[in-house]
Formats: sequence, C-alpha cells, structure tokens
Amino acid sequence: MSDKSRKTFLMIIFLCVLFILVWVSDKFLDEYTMRVIRTGLIYIIAAISYNLINGIAGQFSLGPNGFMALGGYMVALLMLPLEQKKFVWFLKPLIWPFNSFSFTKAFFPLAIFFGGMAGALGALVVGFPTLRLRGDYLAIATFGFSQIIIVLANNLISVTNGALGIKGVPEYANIYWCLAWAIITVLFTTNLANSSYGRAMKSIRDDEIAAESMGISIFKHKLLAFVVSGFFAGVSGGLMTSLITTISPSLFSFTMTFNLLIIIVLGGLGSITGSVITAFAFAILSELLRFVESPINLGPIYIPGIAGMRMLVFSFLLVVLMIFYRRGIFGEKELSWDWVLSRFGSKNHQGVKVCPGKTEHF
Amino acid sequence: MRRSVISFTVFTVLLSFMLFGVTTYSADPIRIGFNLEITGAVAGYGQMGWEGAQLVREFVPMEVLGRPVEFVLVDNKSDKVEASNATSRLIEKEKVVAIIGPMTSGAMIAAGDIAEKKQVPILGPSTTSPLATQGKEYVFRVCYTDPFQAEIGAKYAYEDLGARKAAVLFDIANDYCVTLGQYFKDSFEKQGGDIVVFTQCSAGDQDFSAQLTAIKNANPDVIYLPNYYEEVGLILRQAKDLGLTQPILSADGVDVDEIWGLAGSSIEGLMHTAHWHEKAGMTDVGKKYISAYKEKHGGEVNSFGALAADCVLLVLDAIERAGSTDPVKIQAALQATKDLDVVTGNISIADNTAVKSVVIREAKDGNWEFKSIVNP
Repeated sequence: MSDKSRKTFLMIIFLCVLFILVWVSDKFLDEYTMRVIRTGLIYIIAAISYNLINGIAGQFSLGPNGFMALGGYMVALLMLPLEQKKFVWFLKPLIWPFNSFSFTKAFFPLAIFFGGMAGALGALVVGFPTLRLRGDYLAIATFGFSQIIIVLANNLISVTNGALGIKGVPEYANIYWCLAWAIITVLFTTNLANSSYGRAMKSIRDDEIAAESMGISIFKHKLLAFVVSGFFAGVSGGLMTSLITTISPSLFSFTMTFNLLIIIVLGGLGSITGSVITAFAFAILSELLRFVESPINLGPIYIPGIAGMRMLVFSFLLVVLMIFYRRGIFGEKELSWDWVLSRFGSKNHQGVKVCPGKTEHF
Repeated sequence: MRRSVISFTVFTVLLSFMLFGVTTYSADPIRIGFNLEITGAVAGYGQMGWEGAQLVREFVPMEVLGRPVEFVLVDNKSDKVEASNATSRLIEKEKVVAIIGPMTSGAMIAAGDIAEKKQVPILGPSTTSPLATQGKEYVFRVCYTDPFQAEIGAKYAYEDLGARKAAVLFDIANDYCVTLGQYFKDSFEKQGGDIVVFTQCSAGDQDFSAQLTAIKNANPDVIYLPNYYEEVGLILRQAKDLGLTQPILSADGVDVDEIWGLAGSSIEGLMHTAHWHEKAGMTDVGKKYISAYKEKHGGEVNSFGALAADCVLLVLDAIERAGSTDPVKIQAALQATKDLDVVTGNISIADNTAVKSVVIREAKDGNWEFKSIVNP
C-alpha cells in the first residue's frame, strides 16, 4: 500500500470510529454532557478559523467575535419561525425581507452556510482596506471593526432587536451538525495550509519582505486567509446561536475573542490539531472544573464554595504552560498520520518525512 | 524529567480535587438550584440575589415535606452559553426540583429554553423583559415587567408631577433600559405629553455632558433615567453640575445601596419606581428579612436580594402545596399561587408573572421616602 492511500484509509477508519463514538454517546450520555461536547465542537470551529489568520497567515486580528456575531445574526434571522418574529420585535417591526419568510428545518445547513457567507463578506469588507496594515495597527483596526458590529447590533433595532436580542431560534445544531462542520473546518483548513496558498501564507508570516521578493502577492494571500477565517467564524457563530437558541450583542462580546486567543496560543499558533485539542479541552474544562467552586466537605473540614475559582485554575494552568511550553502545547507542529505511523506503525514505514514547505511532524 | 515532575504534580493536585470534591449528604434533601451571575459583567446582581436567598435560611425553617432543603449554586459568569450549560447541569447532574435565576433577562432567555424542554420550573427574580416568559409555561417572573413599570412611571410623571414635556436618557446596550425607555415614551405620549429629548448612552459610559446639555436646552418638566445604578449615579452628579433642576424619575435598577455613595448629595429628590417600601404594607417576612439583613450585612437592603428571597419562599410554598417534589407538579402549584406573603409584599401569580404593586419612592436626607403606591 502506498503511503498516501494508507493515510486515506486511516482517515476513513478514524472518521468511522469518530462517528460511532458520537452515535454511542448521543444514545447513552445525558443531555448536559452532550451540550458541553457540542459547545466544544463549536469552539473548535471558531478556534481553527482564528488560528488560520493569526497562526498560519500571521496577521494579528482581534475581530473574530464580530464575524461570529454576523454569522449568528444571519442564522437567527433566517431560521426564526415567522410567528416568533412577530413576538420578538415588539419595540420596532422587523424589516423586509426577513419579516416575510423563514427557513424550515431542512434548510438549516443552508442557513449556516449563509451565516458563514455573512462572516466572509464582513471579512472582505474589513480586510480590503485594513490588510495593508501590519501588526499592532491591524489588531487595532480589526478590534475597531468588531466593536462597530456590536454597536450596530445594539442600535439597528429593526434588524437585530437591539440589546433585547432575538429569542426562540430553533435548536437544530445537534451533535451531528456540529461534528460535520467541525470536520469540514479541520479538513478544509488543513488542506489549505498544506497547499501552495498555505505555504505562501506561512512565508508571509515568517518574513513579509522575503515573501514579496519571491513573487508572492501578499495582499491577495492575506485577504484569502481573512475571508476563509471570516467564513468559519460565521459558521461557528451561527451554530452557537442555534445551540443556545438566542442571540444578543452581549453574546459575542470581546470576551469571546479573548477566549479564542487563549485557546490558539495555548494550542500553538499555527497548529490546527493544537487548536482542536485545546478548544475542546477549554469547553470541557470550564464545566468539569465547576467542582472547585462547589462547597467541599472533607469530613471535619468544610470549605464553602468560592465562585470564580474555575478562572483561577485556568489562569494558573495558563501561567504554567506559558512558562514551560512557551510556543503552546503543539508549537507549530501537527499531530499527523505520519507521526502516528512512525510511532505505532509497521517497521518498514519511512517514519518522519520532512518535506520542504510542509509542516514538520513530531 | 523536570517537565514530567511538574505535570505529575499538576495532575495529582487536580485528581485530589476531584476525589475530595465529591460531597456526601446525610439525609435525602430537596435540592433547589441557583443559576446566578456570581462573576462576570453583572456579578453584582447575582451576588445580591444569592445573599438574599441565603438570608431566608435565618428566619424560615429549611424543611419541606419533612425533608431538608438544600441550595445548589452554580455561577453562570453573566454569560449566555454558561447560563444554558449551568441550567442543563442543574437539571441533569444536580437533580434540582426548581431553579432560581438567572437575574438578567438575556441569560434567562437562554436558560429558560432548556428548563422548558426538561419541564423544570425556573424563576427569574428580576427578569423584567417581556421576552423572558413569552411562550413559556415553566419560566416565571417574580417581579413586574418593564412595560408595566414604565407605564406607571409615565402616569406618575404626567398626573402627579404634572409634567407635559419629558426627556428620556437610556442605555442602548441594556435590554432593560431600552424597553423601559421605549414604553415610557409610548405611554407618556399616549396621555398627551411630549417627549422633547429621546437620547441614549451606552453601558460603561463615563461622560454624559452631551446628552445632558441637549436635555437642558430642551428644558423638559421631568427627566426619565431608566438605567442601572452605575450610570444613574454618574448622570445625577453631572446633571447637578450642569444646573439641571427638573425632577428626575428612575426605575427599580437604582434600588441598590451603592447608589448613595455614587451619586453623593446629588441624589436628593431622585424618584423611582420600586418594589417595596416599609410604609406600603410590609409583610411579617419582609420585616424579618430587613432585620436579618441589617444584622448580617448592615446598610440598606436592596431589591435584588429581596426578590431572590421571594423566589425561595414561592418555591417552598409551591412544594408544600404540591405535596410532591415532582417539578411538573411544582410548576402547577406555582401557577396557582394566590395571596402569598413574601418579602416584598403580597403576591399572586398570573401569566407566570408576579402580580404586585409598584411603589414610588423619593430620596430624601439619606433615605428612601414613600411617595405613593400603584396597585395593578
């Protein structure tokens, strides 16, 4: 078996195992656990999209919460049932065309796609003028953009219902849709990162002047990374809106960007598998660590619960990791089949192959 | 080597936390869940609510149907995603029979959806937005709605204060303020009054001189400030500096001890629609609550804690009447609540909302003075 077909085969088996695992857990685990897993999958999509622009293309953006909000509002406006639309906009009526139609359940993936397109469009609009900026300037411009989105969401009451938010969005973001979109995001981003476009993006990240002198169109590649990143951020925002069935400007506040930044820095800037693992761990741990906030009864010693302890544990982990793994858990490396094969595979396997331009492996 | 030692230590610490984290219970208690904003952007409201709920333990025996009552608190970090997860956790893992909180309408909308699906009653102490309970059977509101409160405010301004021109300055980033501002405008105009300035600020603003100057130039008879205490405190100070002397009307968001320090002497004459006042038919539990509060925390009681205490009393009463800990039966009993004496007065439940009167109070010499009471 050739190396490539072996990897394809392993990938298919892996996806099948994943699917069976999800099917089994959907059957046997309680709704609370499944809800946390869904949150984790949505965080994965958001983190990968953010890592594409920050880690792979090396452009420090602070705007993913804005793109997520765009996707979220798009999905909410498309999916909200008509009778619910009449109730929700009780201050000012909803504008045309959203007040005249709503998608049925079958069109949910399409609505998510449109949510992604809204994010991508937002990225195009903001990226076109700002991607000529570098470093801190780009960060400030994208931060300003996300703030504008939040301010618009608060003020455009006849579209977004302002600070009151939209409620009653159908909860169609089940585990399968979340998983499917997470897999699409991982595969698309991995292939993009390993393509000539991805290599161009990495060269821009490492040295912009050198990349330009090699004939790479810097602006084009930055914009591509930004728009793809905006698309998947929109998708994750749409899924999150459907998961919690409501959206308001405060849902996608700057805290969201901050959380995503923690995730991708912890996982390793530029590492997709790193983002996947830390994003999932972030969502799971925020719930798992609740026990540190509940009262603890050690027989003679009774410790009353202290709220906010979870965040303290998180901060502690963050400090420890940043001291000992300065480049994140994965650095720029990926957990790949090459590595798995070299560790556990047959003896005649080539082991680690370092191809020029490709990501290095463990 | 060093790395493995450190990771080993971290894991051992975490593991020991997990092992000892498992608490043991002697009897078979009835568990009431609290899904509150203990940390995050609006942590103050959640903390006041939790304070108030725990205060009930001081003067009401925590025993229903012969079983002890236990409170389970989870923090929702003032975040919608966390509020949903917390609700799911309380229902699935903690097996609570009813949930109290979140305090804010936005988080309640997210949490209420899950409680409705799992058929567990959830009570919002201060979720005044009409959207919170709309279309829901298991979501309750233990206060009045924003439209009702704004209408009372507008009536009071038009009839009792004799105002014909009003100015409204509201916080656009808060659902509570937006609804109040809009309904005050509608109601005041309906009565024949004129809204001369309808302007906005945004949560976290520090400087309101532009809006206040516009209000000063329009010279209204009354100024309506339906905002949270942080903004109102600052606005009052700046209004006084600008020389605005019109009566100022606010809503229940200022019923917090901190407002006195924030506004200083400029609070004199501030009127607001509130939930209760000592002179407006105080119940026995209300008196007990106030004395317990003053003994334990000192200072003025706040309405957020009192409303959370109301929720506890409502749930206890409902479990008693239902004679069961089945959440569906508790929900039915809650809906049938009639003339129950709680901390903030005597309430009944209609349309999943507490029917209660609005009190209008005025700040005078460091105290809230009773002005009038409007019954629904």
